[in-house]
Amino acid sequence: MRRALPFLLRRLVLLVPLLFVVALGTFVLLRLGGQDPSAMLAGPTATADEIARLRAQYGLDRPLPVQFLIWLGRVLNGDLGHSWISNRPVLAELVDRAPASLELLVLGVLIGALVGVPVGLISALRRGRGFDHAARLISLLGFSVPTYFLGLALLLIFFYVLEWAPPGMGRLSLMLDPPPRVTGSFLLDALFAGRWETAQSAAAQLVLPVASIAILCAAPIIAQTRAIALSVLSSPPIAYAEAQGLPPRTIARIALRNAATPVVTFIGAELVGLVGSGSLIEYVFAWGGTGQFGLDAIVKGDFAVVQGYVLLLAVFSVVVFLAVDLLVLVLEPRAGRA
Amino acid sequence: MSLLEVSDLHTHFVTRDRDDRIRTARALNGVGFTLQKGRILGLVGESGAGKSLTVTSILGLLHPPARVVAGRALFQGRDLLAMSASERSALRGNRIGFVVQSAKASLDPLARVGEQLVRVQRAHARRSRREAMERAEAILAAVSIPDPKRRLAAWPHEFSGGMAQRVVIALALVNEPDLLIADEPTTALDVTVQAQILDLLSAAVRGRGIGAIIVTHDLGVVAQYCDDVAVMFAGSVVEQGPVAEVFPRPMHPYTQALLAATPERLRLGAGLRLGGPPPNLYALPEGCCYRLRCDRSRDVCRSAPPLAQVGDQRAACHFAREPAEAEA
Repeated sequence: MRRALPFLLRRLVLLVPLLFVVALGTFVLLRLGGQDPSAMLAGPTATADEIARLRAQYGLDRPLPVQFLIWLGRVLNGDLGHSWISNRPVLAELVDRAPASLELLVLGVLIGALVGVPVGLISALRRGRGFDHAARLISLLGFSVPTYFLGLALLLIFFYVLEWAPPGMGRLSLMLDPPPRVTGSFLLDALFAGRWETAQSAAAQLVLPVASIAILCAAPIIAQTRAIALSVLSSPPIAYAEAQGLPPRTIARIALRNAATPVVTFIGAELVGLVGSGSLIEYVFAWGGTGQFGLDAIVKGDFAVVQGYVLLLAVFSVVVFLAVDLLVLVLEPRAGRA
Repeated sequence: MSLLEVSDLHTHFVTRDRDDRIRTARALNGVGFTLQKGRILGLVGESGAGKSLTVTSILGLLHPPARVVAGRALFQGRDLLAMSASERSALRGNRIGFVVQSAKASLDPLARVGEQLVRVQRAHARRSRREAMERAEAILAAVSIPDPKRRLAAWPHEFSGGMAQRVVIALALVNEPDLLIADEPTTALDVTVQAQILDLLSAAVRGRGIGAIIVTHDLGVVAQYCDDVAVMFAGSVVEQGPVAEVFPRPMHPYTQALLAATPERLRLGAGLRLGGPPPNLYALPEGCCYRLRCDRSRDVCRSAPPLAQVGDQRAACHFAREPAEAEA
């Protein structure tokens, strides 16, 4: 792992300009969006005078570059500003909600990958046969179903008709109190605290939203794994392994090793790409994570929250890709040299 | 007993076209040749003649839609085409070493060279890792790779094309095979390296007294390194025999045309007689496949040509025994 440290350092240095560009882009786009938060904050009965006072109070009457620099200066001091709606610090709001979203995304993608990768591999090995056709059909269905519809359909079937799942009303039954916060995941925290009933409820609430995300990401993972496996199986190293009379198990291991890097990279990209769909799933299940919170802030013009949320997403994607790159470094002797 | 005796080998590609009609490409049409222990056979012909396909058919390395539909390939008296996949797999890389065309693309990119050499040994013999590693080092030294001990730990991408080709030769030789098959072993290399690799390859074969097949489109390679030659055209061997007999007195018009097209002959003023596309494998001409390009073609060529034999030299042509027309 002696290659890993300089690699990490280089990536961390690159993070600085990336975050700056993301912050600037978000800031400009928000201001170009034409929303006037002061009017919304002041309410429908406010006079022009009151609105002007609010604008001055929030610094919205200053030139845009000045606004940006003020915001940037505060961010560098660890202050992401306050939500205009809840009046709480943005950072605290995000930190409170992030574990809920992470729990959903990571569990969903993990299950999606655990199902999608083997299905894609078997599909490639049985190309053109029954299993392959079935897998491709299911994958196509997963591709074509709209995100919010998937969540609602699962609720309709498993809550309303079959009554197997709890209603999509948040992360815990309304009858229970949240466990003391350690990780922020209700399921883990309840387990740590030994509150089995709470843990059970948290797990039950997780099932449908996690299943939605797993279905959403399994579809492309199946398709991509199948394509990668097919191209590896028809590649010269595999043909050469056969020409050397290596046993089928050795050949399978060579093929798997060669397919691992692109598959892992793709799953990482899926994890980042699913943040958007994840927000919609959060809405459907009233999950109350950062995704739902961020979407809400965009709709309501809560500028500081939107900026903080987008920065958080940028950091999240960098962290995920960093983790992927570290994995690739382990899998791939040629990586880390370029 | 011959080391390898291939006879009447037919390989077809069966596909369906857009109208779902079955189309059959007759890529090999009765290939036959013989290789004796201790000799090197050059398999020559133009692109698409079926040289590589012959080799992959014999070794059982075909994938659909290609399929061997008939023929025998007796290796040390056992028919490779009749044995089970696992029996064939036990011979490949073990009794039959295979040298691929593009070494750099074919080596497993994720395994160190030493590991690949150990892998092929332990696939075919009970051998400790340590012992296999020692043999791996010895064989790398034998193919003139400098500093073999250190190179065992190198990755394939750290080798140049020529060095990677040496590694592939080492992989083919490490189990001390009885037959070495090299499929265009130097096509991907530049000219100076080509000669080194071929010298190495033929020295390895001669030194071990084993048999070898070199697939090539280069007549110069055949002249310099091979004892025997089999000339392929449109999926069959049109002429074969010892190089010393075939090259000075080619009997088949295609061999004559090939030899006349070498730079030396062209410079001497012999006209270029080689022209035209290879025949359509989906609809091969009746009789002799070469008749559409042959300047000696007559009506009789619409019937299958007989195999004429003079000494050890054999050619499939109606006019094989007649002297070639005065060279233009």
